[in-house]
Amino acid sequence: MIEVHGLSKSFAEPVLRDVSLAVPRGCLFGLVGPGAAGKSVLLKCLVGLVTPDRGAVTVEGETVTGLDELALQRVRRRFGMLFQNNALFDYLTVGENIAFPLRRMGVTDEAELAERVADRLRAVSLAGFESRMPAGLSGGQKKRVGVARATVTRAEIVLYDEPAAGLDPVTSQKIFDLLRREQRETNATVIMVSSDIDRLLTVTDRVGLLHKGELLFDGTTDEARSSRHPVVKQFIHGEVEGPL
Amino acid sequence: MSPPDEETLSARVGASAFAVAAEVGGVAILSARLVRRLFPPRVDGPELLRNLYKMGVRSLPIVGVTALFVGAIMVVQAGVLIRRFGAEGLLGWGAGFATVREVGPILIALMFSGRVGANNTAELATMTVTEQIDALSTLAIDPLSYLILPRVISMVVMLFILTIFGDVLALLGAAYTGQGLLGVHVATFWNGLLEAIRVWDVATGLIKSAIFGLIIALSSSHYGLTVTGGAPGVGRAVNASVVASATGVFIADYFSTYVLQ
Repeated sequence: MIEVHGLSKSFAEPVLRDVSLAVPRGCLFGLVGPGAAGKSVLLKCLVGLVTPDRGAVTVEGETVTGLDELALQRVRRRFGMLFQNNALFDYLTVGENIAFPLRRMGVTDEAELAERVADRLRAVSLAGFESRMPAGLSGGQKKRVGVARATVTRAEIVLYDEPAAGLDPVTSQKIFDLLRREQRETNATVIMVSSDIDRLLTVTDRVGLLHKGELLFDGTTDEARSSRHPVVKQFIHGEVEGPL
Repeated sequence: MSPPDEETLSARVGASAFAVAAEVGGVAILSARLVRRLFPPRVDGPELLRNLYKMGVRSLPIVGVTALFVGAIMVVQAGVLIRRFGAEGLLGWGAGFATVREVGPILIALMFSGRVGANNTAELATMTVTEQIDALSTLAIDPLSYLILPRVISMVVMLFILTIFGDVLALLGAAYTGQGLLGVHVATFWNGLLEAIRVWDVATGLIKSAIFGLIIALSSSHYGLTVTGGAPGVGRAVNASVVASATGVFIADYFSTYVLQ
C-alpha cells in the first residue's frame, strides 16, 4: 500500500496542493492530468527524489518523507521506475543498462544476466540490441529500453512516467499490455502516468486526475469514465469544450 | 535617501555576494556529505579505476606538453639576467625553484581544470538534466558514493601524480632549453638545481597540487550536480565551474604559499 497524506510542494509556484491518495497493493493506478499538473513531481515524491514542503508518503506502512539519503536507499530497493526522459546511462550499452539494476542487487552470474537481459529485450521487441549504445537509438527505442530496465528486477512497486510517449499506436498498446501482464504476474503495485488516456484506461484498476496540483478525482476506471465532474469528464473523453 | 543608481549598484553587489556565498556553501555541504561517506569508506571500486584512467592517463599528453614549455619559458625569462651577470650556475636554481614550487603546480592545475574539471561538470550536468542521477537514486545507488567520491579521489590523486610527472618534464625542458639558448650545460643546470633546492620545496608544490585537485574536484562536481535549465544550463555550469576552479586555485595558492613558506 502506498499512501500519500496532504502532500504539498512548491517550486517557483505551487505544484502539488494538499494531495492525499491511497494505492492498494497489487493495484495498477493510472495518474492522469493536463500538462504541468504535478504528476511527475508526485511520482518523485513517492520515491523520495523530491522532498515535499508538507505532508507525508508511506510505503507499506513506512514513512518515506524525511528519511536521509542512506535510509532512502533501503526503501528504494522496493521500487522500479521509468523516467519521462528514460534516463538511460549513456556511457553503458543497452545490455549493460538493463543489467545494471540486477548487478546492483548482487546478481553476478554472467549467463543469468545475459538471459534476463535478452528476455527483457524480447519483451519490448528489441531482441539483439544488447551491444547498441543509447545515443544510437530512436526516441521510441530508448523508451522501450527504459521499460525493460524498469521491469527487469520485478520490483514490488513500479512507477512509470509516460511509458508510451513517442511510440507508434501498435507498439504503445503492446507496451501497455506487457506492463499489465507483468503487473498481474508479480502482483506489483504500479503507478503509471500517461497522456495516452485511451490506452491507459484499458489496463488500469484505478485512476487519479491531477489538475493544477490538486487531486480532482480518485476512483475506479469505470467511475472515471462515467464521472460527471466537468474537468474529469472533459479530460477523460478528450472533449474540446469545457473548463480546461 | 540614496540615488537610484547607487541603490542598483548596492543591490547588485549584495546579490553577487549572496550568490557567491550560496555557491561556497553548496561546495561546503557537498564536502561534508562526501566526508560522511568516507567513514566507513563507501567508494565504487570499478568507477574509481575508470576515473583514475580517464582523468590521469589520458591527461598525460597535455600535461607533458604544458610542462615542457613551462620549463622552457622559465629559462627564456631568466636568460636575460643570467647572461647579463654571467650567472650560469644559478640557472638551475632560478628556473627549477620557481617551476617546482609555484609555476608548475599552478599551470598544470589550470590545464587539468580545463580538461578534466570542465569534462566532469559537463558529464555530471548532462546526467542531472537527463535524470540519470535520479535514476541511480531510484536504483538504490547513492550517487555521491558511486559517482562523485571516485571522481574527487581520482582528481586529487591524479593531479598529484601528474604534477610529479610535469615537474620532471618541466625541469628537462628547462635544462635543454638552457643548453640550446644560453649554452648552459645540462650538468651545470642540474648542479645548480640540486645544490639549492630542498625536499620541502618539491613537497610544497606537491601539497599545493593536492589542494588544487580537491578544489577542482569539488567545484566541478558541485556545478554539475546543481545544474538547472536543460542544455543551456549545462553550458552555463561548465563555464561557472571553470571560472570558480581557476579562482579557487589562485586563492588557495596565495594562502598555501604563505602557510607553506
